Amino acid sequence: MKKALLKDSLKEIRNTYKRFISILLMAFLGVGFFAGMRAASPDMITTIDNYFDSQNVYDIQIISTLGLTNEDIEALEQVEGVQKAYGEYSEDILINYEDTEIVTKVLPIDDINKVALLEGRMPENKNECLVEKTFCSRTGKKIGDNLIIEEADDSIIKEKEITIVGTMNSPLYVSRQRDTSKLGSGMVSYNMYLLKESFDSEVYTGVYIELENSKQMITDSEEYNNYIQEMTKKIEQIKVQRETARYNQVKDLAQEKVEERETKLKEEKTTAENKLKEAENEIIEGEKQLKNAEITLNNKSKEAEQKFKLAEERIKTAKAKIKEEEENLKKEEQNANAQIQLLNKQKQELQANLQSINTNIQQLQNKLDKINESLNSNNLTQEEIASLQEQKENIENTLKNIKAQKAGLEATLLSINSGLEQIQNGIKEGKEKLNDAKTTLENNEKELNKTKELTNKQLERAKQEINDSKKQLEEGRKTFEINKAEYEEKIKEAEKELSDAKQKIQEIEHPTWYILGRDSNPGYSGFMQDTKSIENLGRVFPIVFFVIATLISLTSMTRMVEEQRVQIGTMKALGYNKAQIASKYLLYSGLACLIGGSIGMIIGFETLPRIIWMMYSMMYVIPNFVASFNVYFAILGLGLASVCIIGASLYTVLKIVGDTPAQLMRPKAPKAGKRILLERIPFIWKNLSFSKKVTVRNIFRYKKRVFMTIVGIAGSTALILTGFGIKDAISDILIKQYENVYNYDMQISLKSDLEETDAEKFIKTLEEKEEINKIAEANMTSGALVNGESEEAVQIIIAKDEKINELIHLSDRKTKKGVKLEEGKIAITDKVAELLEVKKGDSIILKDADGKENSVIISDIVENYIYHYVYMPKSLYEQLYGKYDTNVLFVQNNVKDNQEEELASKLLKEPNVNTVSLSSNMENVMDDMMKNLNYVVVILIVSAGTLAFVVLYNLSNINISERIRELASLKVLGFYDKEVYDYVTRETAILTSIGIIFGLIGGYFLSIFIIKTCEINVLRFGQEISILSYIYSIAITVIFTLIVNIVTYFALKKIDMIESLKSIE
Amino acid sequence: MAYIEFKNVNKEYKMGEVTIKALDNTNFSIEKGELVVIVGPSGAGKTTTLNILGGMDSVTSGEVIVDGKQVNKLSNKELIKYRREDIGFIFQFYNLVQNLTAVENVELAVQICKDSLDPETIIEKVGLKERKGNFPSQLSGGEQQRVAIARAIAKNPKLLLCDEPTGALDYKTGKQILKLLQDTSRKEKMTVIIITHNTALAPMADKVIHFKNGRAEKIETNEKPTSIEEIEW
Repeated sequence: MKKALLKDSLKEIRNTYKRFISILLMAFLGVGFFAGMRAASPDMITTIDNYFDSQNVYDIQIISTLGLTNEDIEALEQVEGVQKAYGEYSEDILINYEDTEIVTKVLPIDDINKVALLEGRMPENKNECLVEKTFCSRTGKKIGDNLIIEEADDSIIKEKEITIVGTMNSPLYVSRQRDTSKLGSGMVSYNMYLLKESFDSEVYTGVYIELENSKQMITDSEEYNNYIQEMTKKIEQIKVQRETARYNQVKDLAQEKVEERETKLKEEKTTAENKLKEAENEIIEGEKQLKNAEITLNNKSKEAEQKFKLAEERIKTAKAKIKEEEENLKKEEQNANAQIQLLNKQKQELQANLQSINTNIQQLQNKLDKINESLNSNNLTQEEIASLQEQKENIENTLKNIKAQKAGLEATLLSINSGLEQIQNGIKEGKEKLNDAKTTLENNEKELNKTKELTNKQLERAKQEINDSKKQLEEGRKTFEINKAEYEEKIKEAEKELSDAKQKIQEIEHPTWYILGRDSNPGYSGFMQDTKSIENLGRVFPIVFFVIATLISLTSMTRMVEEQRVQIGTMKALGYNKAQIASKYLLYSGLACLIGGSIGMIIGFETLPRIIWMMYSMMYVIPNFVASFNVYFAILGLGLASVCIIGASLYTVLKIVGDTPAQLMRPKAPKAGKRILLERIPFIWKNLSFSKKVTVRNIFRYKKRVFMTIVGIAGSTALILTGFGIKDAISDILIKQYENVYNYDMQISLKSDLEETDAEKFIKTLEEKEEINKIAEANMTSGALVNGESEEAVQIIIAKDEKINELIHLSDRKTKKGVKLEEGKIAITDKVAELLEVKKGDSIILKDADGKENSVIISDIVENYIYHYVYMPKSLYEQLYGKYDTNVLFVQNNVKDNQEEELASKLLKEPNVNTVSLSSNMENVMDDMMKNLNYVVVILIVSAGTLAFVVLYNLSNINISERIRELASLKVLGFYDKEVYDYVTRETAILTSIGIIFGLIGGYFLSIFIIKTCEINVLRFGQEISILSYIYSIAITVIFTLIVNIVTYFALKKIDMIESLKSIE
Repeated sequence: MAYIEFKNVNKEYKMGEVTIKALDNTNFSIEKGELVVIVGPSGAGKTTTLNILGGMDSVTSGEVIVDGKQVNKLSNKELIKYRREDIGFIFQFYNLVQNLTAVENVELAVQICKDSLDPETIIEKVGLKERKGNFPSQLSGGEQQRVAIARAIAKNPKLLLCDEPTGALDYKTGKQILKLLQDTSRKEKMTVIIITHNTALAPMADKVIHFKNGRAEKIETNEKPTSIEEIEW
């Protein structure tokens, strides 16, 4: 390029800087948007790749239906290309929190899939754990707090109480989605990490493999995927062998156990039988003894009876004898008494004799005494003495005789007395003797009676004892019988168990290894899907920009070249060749393109991916976003922009540069006016005011510009509408889900261990509560739908009765008519039907949480927006899968919105309630998340707005410069500024309106396309764009138009009439 | 006081660091109904004078009075009003609105004026009755200039300013245009100022102002102006 030419070119830029800037801006927007949007997806992939590399995330995961062993790990490490294999555990537990149970998945801390510590420290003891940050925020637990683990029988986690020592992010769960679980409501709420030592299991639940050299590759790249495929093949080579080994191991182990159990059972059997026999023997012995005792007792009592009889007889005899003797004695006594009487008579006689004697004696004595006295008297003659003496002697003799008589008498009396005494004594003695005998007899009799009584008592006691023993023995026998029966039962059971176990050994399935790549990780695969969506977006959006940028550059450059016709002619006349002349314009547009494009690229690379990342960070937890400078897209973007913009310039220049200098130097005839079709319809044309006629005619005059304007405005409006449309589509989800589909205000999940009767009682009390309006009972569980190769996870809602229809609005997705669950069929939600390509009436495989598969018929496809659901009646569930339990209540309440919280916390205190989730809260939470989406809208609106502005400004500039003479003429004619402005902008207004209409149509389809592209698997985005969005889009375009019009107004005001009209250049 | 007074008018243009004096203390006056021809070489200040008179340009100093109105003191808006109501312009290159037919071009001017004339009549007057529905591109140069004149006089202006109205026309056509202007001046008693570098046209005017170096050097008054038909050049 010649120096003068270069100078001219640069001066041209300075003089027409507005045009230059507008081309620059087009390049900026085109390249910036292209680069930014296209780089977003690779940036996201780089970020996750870096994250995965730094956390040493697995390349291949192996899961076996029978678990994996250290031998498996050794074998895997032998495979060429395997860097290291790590055995891993995972276990779902329930954590008690206040009155609820939180389903938590416990994973081990290891060198693979390393967790990223956020706060606190790593666990050092078996009872220390890391939790998710959201766990802390939900439960209010802090580092240092303890958690109580609910006991479970076969859990491999033995700790009961663990301490939180830190929070973490797990690279295995980059999304907010957690795994399904057999516990609780079927979903894991949080993950938790413990030391590997805390897991008490010999078998690993899975093996994670780190491959050699995989870190050098970008994840999900073709290279990486090929490598994984290749390695999967290699691992598959040892698969069968390892599976068999594991099978044998398990079988042997089971066999061993069964055998062990068998021997043990045998032993137990013998001991038990021995014991039983012993017990039986004891009982028999006891019975024998008892019999003996009975016999002895009988004998004894018989003996005693005889003895007593004998004794009694003897006593009887004795009594008889005594009686006899008594009688004898009586007789004797009588005799004696008679004798005594006789004797006493004799005695009396004697005594009377004696007395008479004594009287005789006395008389004699007296006579004697008188004799003696007379003797003793001295006066007495001897004859007298001798007569006296003789008398005396006589008397004395008589006396002597009498006396002898008396003595005889007295002796007789004495003998009588003694005889009497003797008799009396004899009787007395006899009596005494008899009495003695009698007493003895009585004593004997008494003694006998006593003995008899005692003996009888003893006998009685012995009898009692025997009876007692008998009873005891009977009881013993009974117990023995029961025990025996029990034992037999037990043995039977044990034997059954044993045979079952044996059967089970036979039934042990051959284990299957599942060799999985990262794409089986839901978070990762979701993320990768999203990067694909972004990639698709990146393919579509920039096209709009590029098309518009090209068109604008084309018009700008055309205008520029046309303005410089004369100059070009002069140059040609001066002898410059085509290339040299063209070079000025190429330089001009090239510079604009390069500068604008470079700035756009830098800003695009730096901002757009970040903003997109920000949006996605509401769904994913991946740190350290990398906004890289993507050389490929840089070159591609700039290249495309250059092709469009420089190409457009080249096209216009070459079109003109071929003319002869003379042609060029003559002014190009102004565009001729033409009658338009409308004029041929008089009733329309005539009713148009003059200025409107002019406007209408002008519109049809500059077709190119009109086309540009319409395309530009339409493009911008479409983009703006798309921005709003995306927002609508997503925010619609909430509204539709929570207002159209869910009719309930709260969802109550019941405790898992609830008895059926308790649940029923509780529901009844709930129903009676004033605050509660309606309740529908259901069982909610996780499962999957399978159609051929494709499988989608779903939530299964088993409705207890038809009440469900009042609380969940099941309506046909197309007709919007309410549907009822049909017996024996299921209703599925629309998105999953679409994903699995099934329709009403088809049959599909339904898998429950345990993986049990059944083929069912779809009765309806119902409207739904968030997640996938299968609705089925209780009867079908029980027929296919077994017992139904209510675990979820859908509740509609009567309270005002602001009292719902209170009601919820009141309900939460009920012992049967596990969780209460308010629809309004859920809506708020999701709403917060969706606020991030406004970024997209803002990006789209700002860029579309800028586009609109640039387009309009450019076109308005072209419009003015193209028609400057005309406008100057109007000014000369004395048109006020406002009138000139109206003259011009009336056109713009019409074109803008048309552009907006096209834009709205285009925007509608673009939104639909983008919504379809970006749609997340588990969500159905709304397909309707709200009226408000149309209004906003129109308003924004109009506002930009107005801004441009204001600029135009001043540009028009500045038109220099003299300069413009002076001459034609 | 004359109808139009140009008193000590100076006009300077600043082109970067260079100041160009377009008018240098110019003085002249024109009476109502006069047909004035301004002649002079290129760059003498003719067009500047006309622009100032037409309210399209401002003066650096001096006074311009038209029908008692001090034009140099009018605000921008008043200037537009002045142009709208008092001035009719005719240019060398007609400056018709290409998208409007002959009669529509006249209508364009008429619709913004208060006491305007009927476009159809005017078109007839300028002899374009047959061609009134044609677009400028379908008309010859002379016809286009007639439309321009019709547009200018339809506003019923006080002053008709013509800047080289025949510059782009051939001799015969030019003559017809000048005739039209002369007739208009005579019949309508309209003050008409024509700029031309063709001194031969001087006799047709009531007054001839000779411009040179930004000054009205010589002002001649023809007591008996020649009819344009009689002038040959």
